[in-house]
Amino acid sequence: MAGNVNLTVKLGSLIFKNPVLTASGTFGYGVEFERYVDLNRLGGFVVKGLSLHEKRGNKPPRIVETPCGMLNAIGLQNVGIDRFLEEKLPKLAGLNTHIIANIYGIEIEEFVRLAEILEGVPEISALEVNVSCPNVSKGGALFGKDPDMVYVLTASIKKVSNKSVIIKLTPNVDDVAFIAQAAQSGGADAVSLINTITGMVIDVKEKKPLLANKTGGLSGPAIYPVGVRMVYEVYEKVKIPIIGVGGIYNIDVALQYIMAGATLIEIGTANFVDPTISVQIIKGLEEFVIEEGLDSISELVGIAHG
Amino acid sequence: MRLKIVENKKIAKDTFILKVENPALFEILPGQFFMIKINEFNYPLLRRPFSVAGFSNTIDIIYRIVGEGTAILSKKREGEFLDFLGPLGNGFKINSAKRLILVGGGVGVAPLLYLKDVIENRYKIACEAYFGFNSRDEVFTDDGFISTMDGSLGFKGTAVDMVQDKLDEDSLIFACGPVPMMKKLALLSFEYGCSMQVSLESRMACGIGVCLGCVVETVDGDFKRVCVEGPVFDFEEIQWQEM
Repeated sequence: MAGNVNLTVKLGSLIFKNPVLTASGTFGYGVEFERYVDLNRLGGFVVKGLSLHEKRGNKPPRIVETPCGMLNAIGLQNVGIDRFLEEKLPKLAGLNTHIIANIYGIEIEEFVRLAEILEGVPEISALEVNVSCPNVSKGGALFGKDPDMVYVLTASIKKVSNKSVIIKLTPNVDDVAFIAQAAQSGGADAVSLINTITGMVIDVKEKKPLLANKTGGLSGPAIYPVGVRMVYEVYEKVKIPIIGVGGIYNIDVALQYIMAGATLIEIGTANFVDPTISVQIIKGLEEFVIEEGLDSISELVGIAHG
Repeated sequence: MRLKIVENKKIAKDTFILKVENPALFEILPGQFFMIKINEFNYPLLRRPFSVAGFSNTIDIIYRIVGEGTAILSKKREGEFLDFLGPLGNGFKINSAKRLILVGGGVGVAPLLYLKDVIENRYKIACEAYFGFNSRDEVFTDDGFISTMDGSLGFKGTAVDMVQDKLDEDSLIFACGPVPMMKKLALLSFEYGCSMQVSLESRMACGIGVCLGCVVETVDGDFKRVCVEGPVFDFEEIQWQEM
């Protein structure tokens, strides 16, 4: 039965078997989840943010739980692009799903260099460009708050890459649709939103911020209404596909993002709570499409706009 | 996996023992842990890590109420279910060529009770156990030498006070407890040339190595994940001044 359900969606020249991806930073390099989910069931997954050189990340404490959410300030700890290609990627060979590389740099040249290196890596289907990390002192969200920078960065990456380029946007701006338009003008194939919302928890016994980085990014179910609202706003202003992310933990919230205008969705923090949640949401989407008698999931994209 | 609660009762001040049915699907090493979802709702959102205090017909967990999550857990009744992920992490490594010494503080004693059971009943070797608590009403075991800070039961002082003149280079210490206790033990182990394995606690979101939230700093300046590379570490790996 489920085999007849059409969940396929398009992003640039790529076809995804279903719209469910897993979000960068919540799914390791994929291999960590192999004992919990059949990775081939996923539309794709986005690997932990990669920088040109290995990054240690921030000092602990790096996370703290909050009501229906969590704050994190990992600081983009990662093995660096070279070790990713040598050690991690070979373990993902032969998968029948899209692997998306999330890339991060301090300067435009670093993003471009990463895109150049990954251009020669056929296993990587697309690049998700992180211009929205709130937990690093340079680069990150500093790019993502400036539409001119987003435009120049996107265009610079597109110049050297034939892969689909997704710009991941920060919610910590006044007008996210304006930034999305800049990405579109720069040639982006899609935008993904939202990254985490900047927050702080103070340890009242110690009388200072609990996280070593002081601030962190809020994620989890608590933030989904912000994400849905922003996807809704961006959908009205751009033509390129939107990837909705932020607090998706069940089928209802997944559908809200799609109805707000997301062609694909990413599951993030929910992977921590239930490593099988991505596959459960795929099943839920199949059931919904059948129940509603739809020909394709695409019929739902942006339907809330009337 | 969903496991049925057999018992969940108070055994000392703010301290409970939770017993769930053992599905007999896996072995577990002392020091390994489970990530447990306290309820099926979004609050509390994250699973919580718990080490194992006993493993037989039931899986036993001893926990202390430290926040809202454990307060909710303490109200769970027999017959209800909890979702377990695991067993996770690396356990203690037993070496029979050494003199085995267990040092625990507070609820950190819990994993050492299972370790003691395995050492004595499976490996059939001797070990010494020194367990420290704040006061008599917090003590939940009599399986070892007990100390209390206020002297209301057993030796007056900390577990470290009790053990410090008994260490030598043949000693292999297994430690779990508050950071100041383990720091002090690390200093003593360095001084006396003992070996020591420590079980560390950390704020953890996933337990499976992907969130990178639970890291500790190592002597070579790296960050290691408590959930995957730990929770049991050789004390010489840890950058104690950062703890």
